[in-house]
Amino acid sequence: MFGKILIANRGEIAVRVIKACREMGIGSVAVYSEADATSLHVRLADEAVPVGPPPAAESYLHMERILEAARATGAEAIHPGYGFLAENAAFARLCEERGVVFIGPNSTALELVGDKVRARQTMEKAGIPTVPGMTSVSTSLEEFRSAARVLGYPVMVKASAGGGGKGMRIVCDDDGLVPALEAGMREAKSAFGDDSVYLEKYIEEPRHVEFQVLADNRGHTVHLFERECSIQRRHQKIVEETPSPALDPELRVRMGETAVRAMRAAGYNNAGTVEFLLDKDRRFYFLEVNARLQVEHPVTELTTGVDLVRQQILIASGADLSLRQEDLLQRGHAVECRIYAEDPKMNFLPSAGRIAFLREPKGPGIRFDSGIYEGFEVPVYYDPILAKLIVWAEDREAACRRMSAALEDCVILGIHTTAGFLKDVVNHPEFRGGRATTSFVGKFFSSWGRGEGEEDRERLALAAAAYDALTRTTGPKGVPGRSGKKDGATPWTTLGRWRAGGET
Amino acid sequence: MSVAVFDFLFDGNPRKISVETRDGILVAREGGRVLEAEVRRITANEIQFRFGGRSVRVYLVRDGERTFVSVDGREFAVSESRPETGRHGEGDEKTAETSFRVKSPMPGKVTKIAVVEGEEVHKNQTLVIVEAMKMENEIKTAVDGVVKKIHVAVGDLVDSERPLVEVEKK
Repeated sequence: MFGKILIANRGEIAVRVIKACREMGIGSVAVYSEADATSLHVRLADEAVPVGPPPAAESYLHMERILEAARATGAEAIHPGYGFLAENAAFARLCEERGVVFIGPNSTALELVGDKVRARQTMEKAGIPTVPGMTSVSTSLEEFRSAARVLGYPVMVKASAGGGGKGMRIVCDDDGLVPALEAGMREAKSAFGDDSVYLEKYIEEPRHVEFQVLADNRGHTVHLFERECSIQRRHQKIVEETPSPALDPELRVRMGETAVRAMRAAGYNNAGTVEFLLDKDRRFYFLEVNARLQVEHPVTELTTGVDLVRQQILIASGADLSLRQEDLLQRGHAVECRIYAEDPKMNFLPSAGRIAFLREPKGPGIRFDSGIYEGFEVPVYYDPILAKLIVWAEDREAACRRMSAALEDCVILGIHTTAGFLKDVVNHPEFRGGRATTSFVGKFFSSWGRGEGEEDRERLALAAAAYDALTRTTGPKGVPGRSGKKDGATPWTTLGRWRAGGET
Repeated sequence: MSVAVFDFLFDGNPRKISVETRDGILVAREGGRVLEAEVRRITANEIQFRFGGRSVRVYLVRDGERTFVSVDGREFAVSESRPETGRHGEGDEKTAETSFRVKSPMPGKVTKIAVVEGEEVHKNQTLVIVEAMKMENEIKTAVDGVVKKIHVAVGDLVDSERPLVEVEKK
């Protein structure tokens, strides 16, 4: 086993990996940019090494500086987390050359699945169904245009090196093609350093179902069931759960077996995820392999009881995978909500700033994977994820109720977050009914928080009252009820509602 | 008994709400509406209100000039307004009768300028693209008009107060 692991990431995922290292008796090395000197992962790691200025390209994506930090601290392995260098085959190869273990798939498999176009070709050869699309990347507008017409609008611009919604655009007609390609290429270039894009048929209102896979270095491969990730905004997941309300046992077995076959076809090892689109007629298509630990991995951990980060580290150290497919079971239901530093009232615009107050949710079946603390200044340079709230309960209904209550207990003040929005999502009848597709947010929540109903007026009045109580600390305000008076009743009496026109 | 009448700014929108307490019972009034509730202060940052058989927890913290309040999962930035204060935090600002300053709604980096000075623009046309937290955000004009002045260049870091483009209204 490794004596020391360097975590080439930041935020909640770096914290997650540091905690796994600690439990396994492995030393942890954090790396950080100048913007992250006071970040939580830096505080928690055994050692911390600065790797450059704030822009990711000069710090978290700077392979030489990361490898130098590993060398200088004597770390034998590097965990890339998700994003940044996680799916970078060149980095995995560089690690292999320098004799540092990359905690993830081998560079050949990573290269294959990381190239969405080649991955599709491989899957088609292995007899796995794929979404219709271009079979190669292009730079010629004419090729894009004719491909779009053959596929039929709407089509989707996708980054070849893509993931996380970066570089993705939906195009509905010829006129929209050029701006979408330009935007997709710019975004892909800045996110992945590679601006190649291709087109795929856009499947309307699909469900997004993915299967978690673990494979050891000798090819023993199992799946750990599905995750449903249909609630998205800007093609990025915000709520995930398992089991999927859309699968029955027969479909689950078929998709799981397909996922294992896909990973074997790719020569994949370590943890990875096979993403499928599931259409209205319950046909499923291979979408892509996410060759990394995923943001939503905790829901799988809570329902299968398997610690995926620990398994990743064990596999990377050369251990045989001790899990057998027939031993793996799903128990209960888990839901994850991603708390982003974004303003849901303003089309999810990022919101950087100081976290002036933080109250973390706690309780039975509640897990809060966080990269923040009270007083932390959320930097503007990186992905706006702050924390993930994950709950487990016996069944879906109980899990949703637990999530709703936990979101109410999750208070982050000073910046805008998605917590309140997520509470309304989880309580929405479409979601509760298990009917939500990827168009759910656009359909039901496009003007969330903008109207002003009776409830909003009530909230404002309470906010004003609270402000008054905070501002003026003297006087009777803020004192619980009837100071001095005793009538034997509870401290509470039921009082009037918000009512119109009244004098009291 | 004490009464306080506040001109509040809730996320930049002015509201007049009066707050008073009588025997530990809070009475809030806005226009013709009245809310009566019992108040229990849990901590310096947490206050519980009871009314109509319901219990609602409100969390709040003061940070410099502003006070952040969370009610029912909705967050508000509250401050007491002064008469001369306009509509702050509203993104765009009307400078004169005919000129609009388009501001970035969040801090970020200018990655593209889609117009030139003197260009005629239409409502909802993209003027500038600002990248923040790895996402591109298209900053659009709220009015038809002509681009009078561009205040930024590609690569500039901007905060949420800095005007990006001035558009002269047609």
